[in-house]
Amino acid sequence: MSRLIVIALRMLIWLLLSADPELLNVAIGLAVSLALPLPRRVRALSPGQFWRALGDSVTALPQAYSQAARLLLHRRLEESVVHDEPARVGGRASSVLVFLDVFRITLTPFTIALGLEGGGRRYRVHELVFEEKER
Amino acid sequence: MTLLVFGMVLALLLPILVVCRRTDVWHRLAAFASVSTKVAMVMLVVSVVRDDWMVGLVGVIVLSVGNGAVMLLANLLQGVEG
Amino acid sequence: MSGELLADAPGVLAALAQGASAVLLGLGLLFWFAGSWPLLGRASYLTKLHYLGISDTLGSALMLLGLLLRFQREWPLLVLALLSLVVWNTIFGYVLAACSQPRRRP
Repeated sequence: MSRLIVIALRMLIWLLLSADPELLNVAIGLAVSLALPLPRRVRALSPGQFWRALGDSVTALPQAYSQAARLLLHRRLEESVVHDEPARVGGRASSVLVFLDVFRITLTPFTIALGLEGGGRRYRVHELVFEEKER
Repeated sequence: MTLLVFGMVLALLLPILVVCRRTDVWHRLAAFASVSTKVAMVMLVVSVVRDDWMVGLVGVIVLSVGNGAVMLLANLLQGVEG
Repeated sequence: MSGELLADAPGVLAALAQGASAVLLGLGLLFWFAGSWPLLGRASYLTKLHYLGISDTLGSALMLLGLLLRFQREWPLLVLALLSLVVWNTIFGYVLAACSQPRRRP
């Protein structure tokens, strides 16, 4: 599954960069993306996990815009904290899943991932929170 | 569209100002990253305005490779400091 | 009557796309200014990275969407730019934050 994703990504980049849907061009792109070296060892990744993580990342996009608007409207009120967020896939997760999780956390403007801790069991997350003292 | 390009160049001046003023290397690195993205975006806008494929191609390459270079630099800096 | 309306539809659609594209471009520029302005202040490094994420990732993505709505010849390039911008800049914010961390941890 991981290898399939890598190859699909290479094909996508090739097609968009050359913008030429002829058969010869597609064949060249396929040959190049198969010929480039693949990662030697990959951890298991089930399609269900992958699609769920991808869906979460995509739904994080509109969330990111609403958070950005909120942050820009109350710009003086924030303070920053660092806390831990448990990773959803415990133990040794596939690198694709870790990538998508870090992407999801960092894309939203209130949170930035700082790293993976405890052997991949939780993320360190830096978060902006509003001070609630007035009103 | 000319107004848009002017506005973008004006926004580009902000991180350049930061780079000229700050002494902390991490702030400077973040500002340089911002400059890299913004320059690539200006190139893309110009390419669409002029309907020029090649300028757009260069913009995309700057966007992806430039960010990768700054990322490498950040890793190197952490190694030097740590 | 309806035939005329149908014949006029592409023109209306194009005008609508132009307007939406102008709005998106302006919004993106607003995000750029709003996100870059805190860089000048005295906020902490990580806070600035949050704002930089707004301006560079989300603002630029809005601008690219605005450019895409113009239906120019360059759309594959713009899609590629959108993809690489969102992925690279997000991961880049993470790398900058994570790399600066050991030094700043008490």
